[in-house]
Amino acid sequence: MLLLPMDLYSKDNSNSNIVVGANIGNVPWEFQDSDGSYIGFEVDLVSRVGEKLKRKIKIINIPFNGLFAAVQSGRIDLAISSINITDKRLESVSFTQPYYDSDQSLTVLNNSKIKNLYDLKGKIVAVDTGSTGDIWATENNEKYEFAEIRRYEGLVPAMLDLVIGRVAGYISDIPALLYYTKDKPNLAVVERISTGGTYSMMLRKNNSLLFEVNDVLIEMKSSGELNELHKKWFGKFAAKNSSTIKILDIPKSSGKLNLNLTETFLNKRVFLETYPMLIKGFYITIQLGLLSILLGLIWGLLLSLIRLYSNTLLRFVVKTYINVFRSIPLLVFLIIVFYAFPFVGIRFSPFNAALFSLVIVSGAYFAEIFRSGIEAIPKGQFEAAKALGLSPYHTMVDIILPQAIKIVIPPLTNNCINVLKDTALASIVALPDLLKQATQAQAIAANPTPLIVSAFIYLIFLLPMILWVSRIEKKYRSGKQL
Amino acid sequence: MSVLISLKNVSKHYGDFCAVKRIDLSIIEGEVLCIIGPSGSGKSTLIRCINYLEEYDDKGIITVNGITVKKGNNLKNIRKEVAMVFQNFNLFPHLNILKNVMLGPIRSLKVSQSSAKKLAYDLLGKVGIRDQANKFPYQLSGGQQQRVAIARALAMKPKVILFDEPTSSLDPEMVSEVLDVIKELAGTGVTMVIVTHEMSFARQVADKIIFMDEGIIVEEGSPDQIFDDSKKERTQIFLKSVLKA
Repeated sequence: MLLLPMDLYSKDNSNSNIVVGANIGNVPWEFQDSDGSYIGFEVDLVSRVGEKLKRKIKIINIPFNGLFAAVQSGRIDLAISSINITDKRLESVSFTQPYYDSDQSLTVLNNSKIKNLYDLKGKIVAVDTGSTGDIWATENNEKYEFAEIRRYEGLVPAMLDLVIGRVAGYISDIPALLYYTKDKPNLAVVERISTGGTYSMMLRKNNSLLFEVNDVLIEMKSSGELNELHKKWFGKFAAKNSSTIKILDIPKSSGKLNLNLTETFLNKRVFLETYPMLIKGFYITIQLGLLSILLGLIWGLLLSLIRLYSNTLLRFVVKTYINVFRSIPLLVFLIIVFYAFPFVGIRFSPFNAALFSLVIVSGAYFAEIFRSGIEAIPKGQFEAAKALGLSPYHTMVDIILPQAIKIVIPPLTNNCINVLKDTALASIVALPDLLKQATQAQAIAANPTPLIVSAFIYLIFLLPMILWVSRIEKKYRSGKQL
Repeated sequence: MSVLISLKNVSKHYGDFCAVKRIDLSIIEGEVLCIIGPSGSGKSTLIRCINYLEEYDDKGIITVNGITVKKGNNLKNIRKEVAMVFQNFNLFPHLNILKNVMLGPIRSLKVSQSSAKKLAYDLLGKVGIRDQANKFPYQLSGGQQQRVAIARALAMKPKVILFDEPTSSLDPEMVSEVLDVIKELAGTGVTMVIVTHEMSFARQVADKIIFMDEGIIVEEGSPDQIFDDSKKERTQIFLKSVLKA
């Protein structure tokens, strides 16, 4: 998330819009109705805040784990999305007083054998990246012995994988799940996990808007308006002692009240807490990247040879393949592989789905590079090899490929760098790669430091390769003998 | 005196264009045959049919040592017997001189690494560049590169060597060093088919000369017959124009 420092510390202008970030799709808090307008409990709440403060509300859609950096960078003034108040988060951001008491819950398929958390032993459980459910599952992993905690970007993809059967259960906020499952008989919320969470609106530290919004909450609680909202969205009034009724204090910030630029974006404490997670993610990124490159190179070479030397039909097939996969964005293909293939019986793990997609797509690019290299070899080389009685195999391996590959080393390396960078897309299918680990870490710590650090890790790893390629390219351009 | 290579009714079309027209020719074992003629007369195309670098038309037939030259498994065996030296040398730029010479015997004749090496050194000595064995082709002059190419051809211990304008890409001062090597070979009993524009060389080295024009053999005979006593007007006109220069 890039932004200008000027933007960052500009004074709040009380006449301007209040920009609200929300993870749209989080029922019943903020989601879209059939004509696309935003509705929900929290949408109603912020519109009421706007009315009372006589300021326009502008809602923008940001994934849950992006809200923390967005608040701290000043990109948004206020974040809603059933955000739980936690001590960790209070070190980096501020919250208004809470307005809803929540717990976590376990959702499973109705026809599955899983009836409670203990049944999840040795099974894969889904959570939302960096959410309270994520934090709870991570802390209780030893007790329940989950096979794996898989982290998704919100309810919809997690539900998709629950229905497909890639995960056995989904741990998330109970109100959202009760609302979501009420018209879906194949799903059931089987256990309430009491975490004692409370929802609140999140703002940047030291933002004076905090007190204005909090005053509106006090007013809405005392007038009973908030309880009316509860009735509207949950069909009944809130419990007497709940934070929907009771007027409470603003949660106390722990740590420094005002974080400066470096403390926000390169926070040493957050760095020390999260860097083991990042290293784990980096390890997966490297594994995925190198394996994809290796298999992609082999696949690409094979494709290029088929394209150049096989019969007309196969050549046509490969040509079509290459054109198709150079036109499809990798991300789109990855989502198809991960979420659509299971319906035809192919169910890849996140790692294998990412590996498969990267190899299939990068193979198309590698094939074209190899082809250009082979075609650049003079005809006389093929003839000399033939005249010596070399087989097609030895002609390729002894004569043509050593020369062709040398010519295309710069574009090959560039494509390898692209593959390594593209591994970051795998975080969309819940693979805990470097980017995913960084997003999770920044959501838990409510601080963007892990994202910045992950950028540095990519940089340290890829920059030497970039520099090396430019050196080689320069050398080739200067016309040195190959 | 047995026939080593026989061409019967050999034609080669490129689309509608006919480069070589219904050629009949016998080449005897140990013979040195030079093919002369103007550019585009089909000389190179004809010898490239002999080791099947060009696919000649179906009606014709070429045999080498009794084996028919056609697509398929026999081709490998034919190419073991028929070596070729190209106008542009076509050395392998990524291999050093020694390995350029060793590759054919190792891959096609299944000769061991060590005996291939010994053979390569011997042949490089024969063509006078043994001391360049560890250099790469680009470090050598054109004349030296073509001598390596000849050593590479010889390493296959072929029955016949095809020379496709072996001096046409060379600077004038390097022509003689290559021709001298070929002349020496002429005495060893290996069959050679040489496409060349070097008339005095052809006259000196050839047992038989063929004059080709527009895809056909216009005249064939001994060097003296062709150069001093040609029966065909086209041959005479051609020789007059090239010998005048």
